[in-house]
Amino acid sequence: MTWLTWRQHRAQFCTGAALLAALAVLLLITGLQVASQWHSALVACTATHSCSNQGGLFLGNRAVGFLVIMTLGAPALAGLFWGAPLVAADLETGATPFAWTQSVTRTRWLAVKTGWMLLAAAVWGGVISALVTWWSGPNNALYRDAFNPGRFDIMNITPVAYALFAMALGIAAGALLRRTLPAMAVTLVGFIAVRAVIALWLRPHYMSAVTVFYNLVHGYTPPGSYWQLAQGVLGPDGHPVPQPDGPAAFGVPLGYLPASCAPLNGGATHITPSCAQALTHFRGFTTYQPAGRYWAFQGIEVGIFIALAAILLTVAAAVLLRRDA
Amino acid sequence: MTSVIQTRGLAKRYRRVTALSDCAITVPEGRISALIGPNGAGKTTLLRLLAGLARPTAGNMTVLGGTPRQDPAFLAEIGYLAQEIPLYRRLTAEDHIGIGAHLNRRWDGASARDRLRALNIPLDRAVGKLSGGQRAQVALALTLAKEPRLLLLDEPVAALDPLARRNFLAILATAVADSGLTVVLSSHLVADLERVADHLILLASSRVQLCGDIDALLAEHHVLVGPRKATTAIEKTRTIVQAVRTARQTTVLVRGNAAVLDPDWESADIGLEEMVLGYMGQDAAPGLARLTTVGDDQ
Repeated sequence: MTWLTWRQHRAQFCTGAALLAALAVLLLITGLQVASQWHSALVACTATHSCSNQGGLFLGNRAVGFLVIMTLGAPALAGLFWGAPLVAADLETGATPFAWTQSVTRTRWLAVKTGWMLLAAAVWGGVISALVTWWSGPNNALYRDAFNPGRFDIMNITPVAYALFAMALGIAAGALLRRTLPAMAVTLVGFIAVRAVIALWLRPHYMSAVTVFYNLVHGYTPPGSYWQLAQGVLGPDGHPVPQPDGPAAFGVPLGYLPASCAPLNGGATHITPSCAQALTHFRGFTTYQPAGRYWAFQGIEVGIFIALAAILLTVAAAVLLRRDA
Repeated sequence: MTSVIQTRGLAKRYRRVTALSDCAITVPEGRISALIGPNGAGKTTLLRLLAGLARPTAGNMTVLGGTPRQDPAFLAEIGYLAQEIPLYRRLTAEDHIGIGAHLNRRWDGASARDRLRALNIPLDRAVGKLSGGQRAQVALALTLAKEPRLLLLDEPVAALDPLARRNFLAILATAVADSGLTVVLSSHLVADLERVADHLILLASSRVQLCGDIDALLAEHHVLVGPRKATTAIEKTRTIVQAVRTARQTTVLVRGNAAVLDPDWESADIGLEEMVLGYMGQDAAPGLARLTTVGDDQ
């Protein structure tokens, strides 16, 4: 069966390997540039004691940065081009009776095919993730955004789980629909929908978020690469003050403050005593997931997607093994 | 003689359609059985059930001493060739021979290569690019390379030209003579199978109409030709399969060997095709023991 799987899908494997190699070369070359850029920026800022303020620094090249963000979609490719046709193409061309009347049971046929494809998907997701994670090291240190949606999803172990899920989704769609193109469409839509629902609505609640209240004048930034879920200002009555859409001081619209605070909007740094007094009635708050939970969240996300993949593969197996050929 | 296939009350229903009902057949070992019936009679369904590719809705079957199942030992004994010629379009014949070698413990790749070379079929071209007939020959060679004990062939000669048909059937007859192989091959054309088959399964309207040794079946069927008159006297001792009335005479296909005493009726022997067509009805809307009236009645 392994031989059949290889013989049938070697073109796909070779295409995948070539894409991975091209990505590796590109990210290795530009990644080394990013690293040396970061290194010299650190040397320069250490000399001038300005390392806490490097907001203007930009690392790497925009096109490659864009490509790195686009690896968000890479796991879906495994499901689309390897998963969806895996059984659908055979069912569609009517080749399955040939395979199913050799001296190999249907269960083994499916298990071996699926096993190799899952391995291929894991390698695909893993290699891309490893390259992206390494390439993004300096950026993570600079922007501290590794926990943010969009960055969390392209680094470390989550891409492996996404690729396994996409593969399982493709195989299940192919088994149910028995036609390649509809299966590919369902895989694409399903992948995007599930990923979006989990990232937007489920992931923020894997653990209950931490909320910190702070003095507006002193401000507060959680340590490390935390994930900020909400931020705002509470007024004297304890209710949130609307986000300023005009002149503001420390995030509070000037309408809520005495006239003595007005210069702050113009960029003044000195706070008059009356303005400071007025500001003590306001409190800032930040709701976030602390940086220390990063790996717990990666683990939970991976667990969810592997469980979904397992369910989909069970459905595919039930459909293929129970139904008539 | 042991029977390779035995079914009882076998039925297969798809959501609304009954593909096969109450099917009871027996095929002894070493026979070439012709599975004949009009399109849609249930031939493909029966073969797929026997090959273990579909599960029956009701009834039971014994194939090679067991129930068709997903088990390497059973699958190794079955050679099945579907009507659609299932092959991987993008792979070559040589690739398929390789696949067969990996998926079967018993595999005679050399004979498959020899057979295809003798037919001038390229081994290194994607089978999707071969002609329909060539593709059928490739699939056939692969099925035989498996060296099965039971060969189930669904319309195997449909895609072949007349010469290839004759060759193919000759190969089949030789294989049966050499190895005690049992074959069930379906067709809706009697002429294709008459030459090689010695056993008949006749399906019509998803039911088995006849099943047995061809010579024995022919011996108990006769055509009676007589004047235009009622057939009630005949019906007392024999089963009327089909009666055709014209203005002058009545032709009746009967089953049963009881003597006809009425001198008005002239009895004649019958050929396979006549017998089969009698059961199927010439209007492709077959049914058991139906009466056909031609011309004005009374």
